[in-house]
Amino acid sequence: MALNVLVVDDSAIMRRMIIKTLRLSGLPLGEIYEAGNGQEGLQILHDHWIDLALVDINMPVMNGEEMINQVRANPETADLPIAVVSTESSEMRIEMLQQKGVEFVHKPFTPESLSQTIVKMTGVNHEPDGDSASPSGGYDF
Amino acid sequence: MSQMETALRQAAVMTFEELGFLFTTPELNEQQRNAPVDAAVSVAFNGPLRGHLMVQVSGDWLPTLAANMLGEDEPPPPGLQHDALREIANVICGNVLPAITGSREVFYLSPPQIVEDTTQNGKPPTAAAHIGLEGGRADVLLFLDESS
Repeated sequence: MALNVLVVDDSAIMRRMIIKTLRLSGLPLGEIYEAGNGQEGLQILHDHWIDLALVDINMPVMNGEEMINQVRANPETADLPIAVVSTESSEMRIEMLQQKGVEFVHKPFTPESLSQTIVKMTGVNHEPDGDSASPSGGYDF
Repeated sequence: MSQMETALRQAAVMTFEELGFLFTTPELNEQQRNAPVDAAVSVAFNGPLRGHLMVQVSGDWLPTLAANMLGEDEPPPPGLQHDALREIANVICGNVLPAITGSREVFYLSPPQIVEDTTQNGKPPTAAAHIGLEGGRADVLLFLDESS
């Protein structure tokens, strides 16, 4: 099963880091879509089949929390697996997000933590590329 | 060093090392101290504390930072280099505020902005961390509003 993934982050360099991590993780990937804010993310969800969304919280136009609320309120997307990838450190806000049925990955993250979260969410197995991970665990993002 | 400055330094060092793969030094040598400012970015925040965090970079290591973040040998275009700095400031800010107030508090961060005028009208920062990075430095400055 190839996963179509949506990456929503206002930072272009962070989107590239996340996508690079996904590619190095060995997860079976289909199409990868990028959005710079929640509104763009909702439009992509409307136009394409997405299996997994990775969403930042602090973004202009529409933040990640509002996007997640709208995704959960729409019967067509209500069950979408979502991982929040954010600097958010407030336990209260993280708990609030988790109550919306999302996983949480704290920035800076390691490729291992991100790919393990995705495997946990999707149940899709992965086999990392042979040259993608150093013995010490590779990159910290 | 105050508790706030300790928290600021720890958040900044962790971010530069883990996100930017840069070695940091606690003391500045003469070259690092005298390096002119290349760019600066500011993140406004509100919540239990209000204000902004500014990161000034000196010494021409921004291209290295951006290349490191992408895991590439060649630096990306200047737009992505500034984006890398914005993300660094965002991560420092997101990590330092709960370290100051406690992890139950909720803060709202605005998108980081590149700033041209770094003088702040002469207002001194509430807390500052000056971190050595290769041939330059990063000045991480926390400004709290008086009403905070």
